[in-house]
Amino acid sequence: MSAGRKVLALHLGVLAVLFVLQFALPAYHHTNVARIMVLAAYAIGYNILLGYTGLMSLGHAMFFAAGMYGAGLPVYYFGVGAPAAFGIGLASGLALAFVFGLMALRTAGPSFLIVSMMFGQAFFLATLYFNDFTLGDQGFIVSDKLAPLRLGGASLGFHEPAVKYNLALAIFSACLMAALALRLSAVGRVLIGIRENEERTRLLGYDSFRYKLVALAVSGTFSAAAGAAYALLFSYVGSTFAAILFSIYPLLWVLLGGVGTILGPLLGTALMFYLVDTVSGFTSSYLLFVGAALIALILWFPQGILGTVRTRWLPWLP
Amino acid sequence: MAALAPILATQFLSKHFGGLTAVDAVSLEVVQGEIRAIIGPNGAGKTTLVGMICGRHMPSSGRIVYEGRDITRLRPWERLALGIVYTFQVTSIFKGLSCYENVALPAQRGLMRGFAARLVPGEAAVAGRVHTALEAVGLGGFEDQRAEALAYGHQRLLEIAMALAAEPRLLILDEPTQGLAEGEIAALCELVRRIAGQATVLIIEHNMQVVLELAQRVTVMDAGAILAEGTPAEVERHPEVQRAYLGR
Repeated sequence: MSAGRKVLALHLGVLAVLFVLQFALPAYHHTNVARIMVLAAYAIGYNILLGYTGLMSLGHAMFFAAGMYGAGLPVYYFGVGAPAAFGIGLASGLALAFVFGLMALRTAGPSFLIVSMMFGQAFFLATLYFNDFTLGDQGFIVSDKLAPLRLGGASLGFHEPAVKYNLALAIFSACLMAALALRLSAVGRVLIGIRENEERTRLLGYDSFRYKLVALAVSGTFSAAAGAAYALLFSYVGSTFAAILFSIYPLLWVLLGGVGTILGPLLGTALMFYLVDTVSGFTSSYLLFVGAALIALILWFPQGILGTVRTRWLPWLP
Repeated sequence: MAALAPILATQFLSKHFGGLTAVDAVSLEVVQGEIRAIIGPNGAGKTTLVGMICGRHMPSSGRIVYEGRDITRLRPWERLALGIVYTFQVTSIFKGLSCYENVALPAQRGLMRGFAARLVPGEAAVAGRVHTALEAVGLGGFEDQRAEALAYGHQRLLEIAMALAAEPRLLILDEPTQGLAEGEIAALCELVRRIAGQATVLIIEHNMQVVLELAQRVTVMDAGAILAEGTPAEVERHPEVQRAYLGR
């Protein structure tokens, strides 16, 4: 089997397993996996910037929240339908990422990290400052304003677990396959060149600023897609999703699963989700365990799980 | 040779870094198809000069004309699209990537026209170019090897393969023989001579043997300015050159 076919088979296989899993999982884990898939889409978006372009952001929560508010507010105030709301969420994230990129991509490395964090915090504080409009501190529920999805003659309510699961899977699949396509494209090769040695890439004929802007726009759009889906599927919209912790999470998920791997974000998100879930069962200081896991990771698996697997066993893993 | 149109001309090109004048009003003409060597002691401004030609540094003053067109303000990637390709003095390959990927990045450059081609690189065409470039420098068969695992001499060759894949019309080689063994130097001279069949070559070189063997004309720089220019034999006899550079 050629490398290209192996890659395609692996990723489609993972999606098939996720599809079949919904018939086997008990209710509790059924919801968890739906949530994990949406959050993993966010991590995939984050990884496009960190893993494939070499830019570390600490402000990605603003893109997630832009998608979340972009989708949630029109539903809450105007009763907009889910597909349109999702579209508005995506467009909000894309626009924000583009404008942010025009300004922030003048910096790189640690300065980019700081600038992204400042923008992220400004966005977070704005959701609280405009509280009358955003209902930021209390948050709001969209489910009672959200009309069921109509597909042919069928009416699909967002409260139904199967609808949640399959929509989450659809969005996750789209992000996963789009990330894979980008990685294997000519543009993906340029992004990796920028990650490895930006000056060299510029002297080989590529305007690195434009490529970084494209990566950031895609990354922001994926994050917004996850945020919009989260609002529509799990109904709650609030400022906590714009806070710094929600910028740190995707970084942790990606570091755990494997920076610069396509499937790493899914693995990292799932493991971290269940780590927190399990630990929260007997202590409220679950972040202590998250921290310990990260220290162990940095010490023994600095490339993350799939990064290590790639180095040791599967060099073809994208 | 004076009858031929220059492919490259710099006019009173200068570069200041703070109070330091690295290059001082250099006017240089390179003729289409020649191999031109630039020699001079360390700190003479050679690398800064070619850095301005390929777009790494913006000149403080002066003009650069390439193929009859003013390129002084063009960005590095725009110059590469015109065929000006630079290889680094300090090997600057993508160490973590395979040789194939190293060369594929410049090789796909000319194939990325239009939206579809950016998404699907047309890997067969890219692979063909990569193969040709690696074969040309004698690294055929090293495609899957990680660049950092290559011997130093091979890394230098990979650097040149990357430049060749970009299809240069003016190839700038910055001390390509630095750190190479004697046998490798001979092979490199042979390679440069072959490249010169298709491209104009501007080569910065410390090894006088290489300069004498390859260059049709030699430009000598010292303290940011051109000290002398001529055929290798003329330059070798120049008293100032002997004093300033050859140390006699």
